[in-house]
Amino acid sequence: MSESELLVADAVSRQFGDVTVIDDVSLSLGAGQLHALVGPNGSGKTTLLQLLAGIDNPTAGAVSYEGPAAARRIGYLPQRPSFRDGFTARETLEFYTALVDTEPAGLLARVGLADAGDRRVGSLSGGMRRLLGLAQATVGDPPVVLLDEPGSGLDPGMRRRMAELGRELAADGAAVLYSSHDLELVEDHSDRVFVLDGGSLVERGSPDTLRDQYGVGNLWAVFEAAVDSAGGELDVIGVSE
Amino acid sequence: MPDAKLSVQAVAARELVTVARSRAALALFAAVTVVVVGVAFTGNADPRYLPTTVDLLLPLEVVVPAVAVALGYRTIAADARRGELDVLETYPLSTTGYVGGVFVGRAIAVTLVLGVPLLLVGVGLGLTTTESPTVLTAQRGVDSPLVFVRFTVLTLLYANVVLAMALAASALARSRQSALVLAVVVLGVVVVGLDLLVLRGFVGGTVGTDQLTTALALSPTSAYRGLVFETVISTAVGTETRQAAPLLSGVGLVLWTGLSFVVTTAALASR
Repeated sequence: MSESELLVADAVSRQFGDVTVIDDVSLSLGAGQLHALVGPNGSGKTTLLQLLAGIDNPTAGAVSYEGPAAARRIGYLPQRPSFRDGFTARETLEFYTALVDTEPAGLLARVGLADAGDRRVGSLSGGMRRLLGLAQATVGDPPVVLLDEPGSGLDPGMRRRMAELGRELAADGAAVLYSSHDLELVEDHSDRVFVLDGGSLVERGSPDTLRDQYGVGNLWAVFEAAVDSAGGELDVIGVSE
Repeated sequence: MPDAKLSVQAVAARELVTVARSRAALALFAAVTVVVVGVAFTGNADPRYLPTTVDLLLPLEVVVPAVAVALGYRTIAADARRGELDVLETYPLSTTGYVGGVFVGRAIAVTLVLGVPLLLVGVGLGLTTTESPTVLTAQRGVDSPLVFVRFTVLTLLYANVVLAMALAASALARSRQSALVLAVVVLGVVVVGLDLLVLRGFVGGTVGTDQLTTALALSPTSAYRGLVFETVISTAVGTETRQAAPLLSGVGLVLWTGLSFVVTTAALASR
């Protein structure tokens, strides 16, 4: 294990009854690196992120945090971030920052919501809520940041801004992992890509390495070659052969 | 590391602000005020502390659980549905800290929603009663503000026991619908269910006469009623007949609260 690895998953599996959703996944997240997790719908991306975040427990294997001591070790943005409607964006962050004894100053500005700080969550658009969720994920400057489809539902400009924010967090030393279906964005904004299919990691490496390995020109071609169901029918874990 | 007390305070404050900004909670407060003040003063030819306590006891046996359940049944289930419980797991906030904060915040809200109308009644009685307020209930057979203070304190304690039960139901719920169903179950069990069970046992001979007060102490509503009879009404009017077992009733309420906290914490830990 490298000294710069902040989060390590070792042979992690997660079963729900007889269904294995995550199967023997091992990976590590390096400090200062922007990692992307791609895979078809239902491939287990959200479950893997929840296992890495410590929200869910693996049925086999282990996830270990190897980073520095921190009030909050791992920041997490759920796929559909939701907050109490009656609170303003600023009050929402004030609550979360109080849990790590820090101040919310700068968090809204970082995600471009400085002007919406006094608006109630209930009146924010879906994209703005997602930005607020991203701000929440960075509360306490956690060394590891996990983002579940941060660009989902955002316009192309905001999606790019999300990816740039991920890059900025990594530049500050965090290990950032985000899941996405936008392979073009992933190609431009990731140091390392994990390809998940049917609950197993089928490929990993930098976009350049993967393109070279498959002798193709872009990440979509890599995805097509590596993933069974790419462009075809949806694989349903526990049902599809 | 962050101070655990500050985290609990933050959770409690969030609950309190949530209730304060809820139109439904404000409507509930208004309705409770109308009912409590209405029962206390409408058609009450004897506006003194003891008769008013007796008048309020039965309505409050229904109103108190209804308020506690209404203010508590959704809170944890809603946090779970929004995914905020998942997010909170990435913060240095223990399950017990979260449960404690939610309880404290909601308990303050429940206490205000029920306590303010009772305070209004108490003040109103103070302005209208002709009894000397300096006479204490230690002197049996007399009316005094202390009668009503005791009644109010017991009522608020009872409300917070039911609140703990409502939070347990909320933690067990897996959806908005199941939260509502479990809330109705808690309400049914507290208001009539356990009392009917004891009554059935008594009629059927399972519960003997000498065990009746013990059995009643196990029902939160009967325990509350028993405590009001024994420590408020009987003290004031000086009856010698035992209506309930005060110590057991108190223990019963503490057990319900403790059990509810255990269920809430276990339900959250096993999510």
